[in-house]
Amino acid sequence: MTRRLKATAQLLALGLVAGLLALLVWQLGHQAHAPSVGAVAPAFTLNRLDGPGKVSLAAYRGKPVVLNFWASWCEPCKSEAPVLQRDWTSYRGRGVVFLGVDYHDLASDARKFVTAHALTFTMLKDGSGKVTGTYGISQVPETYVLNRQGRVVAHLAGPITDPGFSDKFRSAIAKAVA
Amino acid sequence: MILRFLAVVAASLALAGPAAACAHQRTSLSYLQGQVMCPTCHTTLDMSDSQAAQRIDVFISKKIDACWSAQRIKSALVANYGQEILAAPSHKGFDLLAWWLPVAGVLGGALVLAFGVWRWSRRREPEESAAESAGSGLDEETERRLDDLLARFD
Repeated sequence: MTRRLKATAQLLALGLVAGLLALLVWQLGHQAHAPSVGAVAPAFTLNRLDGPGKVSLAAYRGKPVVLNFWASWCEPCKSEAPVLQRDWTSYRGRGVVFLGVDYHDLASDARKFVTAHALTFTMLKDGSGKVTGTYGISQVPETYVLNRQGRVVAHLAGPITDPGFSDKFRSAIAKAVA
Repeated sequence: MILRFLAVVAASLALAGPAAACAHQRTSLSYLQGQVMCPTCHTTLDMSDSQAAQRIDVFISKKIDACWSAQRIKSALVANYGQEILAAPSHKGFDLLAWWLPVAGVLGGALVLAFGVWRWSRRREPEESAAESAGSGLDEETERRLDDLLARFD
């Protein structure tokens, strides 16, 4: 009886350790990584920042998309915002869609930011940062350029105003449009 | 003189006004800083000085000034950032596990400990009774002589 009890306890302990290991492996396997160039951008549906309604990335399949992640508390986003707005006005005629994703931010602060910088492209809200997490965003601003098939053409981990990023950004859009 | 008196009264009313407007006891920023997470650094607000945390601090301060209760402020933050903004998990769904697993762990540990003690005490009992039955360990002759000696002292 005692031997059987001992064996049961050992089995339970082993099961517990195996369960914890499985959990660890699962967690490691589900950690978000930035989608690499050529990969399909993770799908998402987010609430609009400026009003009711949701926007899905899939709705823009067939169009080049510039996906910019930002937050109102982010200092570099302030200098980047006017450049994004200017680029959007110059590229929208060629069918390029600009989507701003505000993350880990208060909606009221984000709306003030949009008004202050007179941003007119579509703004989405990712308060919990779940979508942003699937893009492996570790800091803002970061920008993805997607082609008509929804594949990543470029990932700019920093403001597009940074030296070197500006040319990369424009050539990525040209590639996405082609 | 009258002007100074009126100024003091006006200042007192201005200071007392917002406090008097609160129907309940005001919550504090420091209390909520321990209850709310910084979304970018994954620590509580009181352990973070990131820009995102500072914005939330400002938001909380404004709401405290507007007499919002701690629960209402937390609800507003959850609506904005999601449940993850709270340091403590919710009391429903999968999050319940976070509350009950520690309790189950403590209870399980206590059961294992109790079982171990019970087994240990049961193992000792036969040893003690064997020792008792073994008596003093003297042979019969020595015991008889010892009894005789003790009888002389009585």
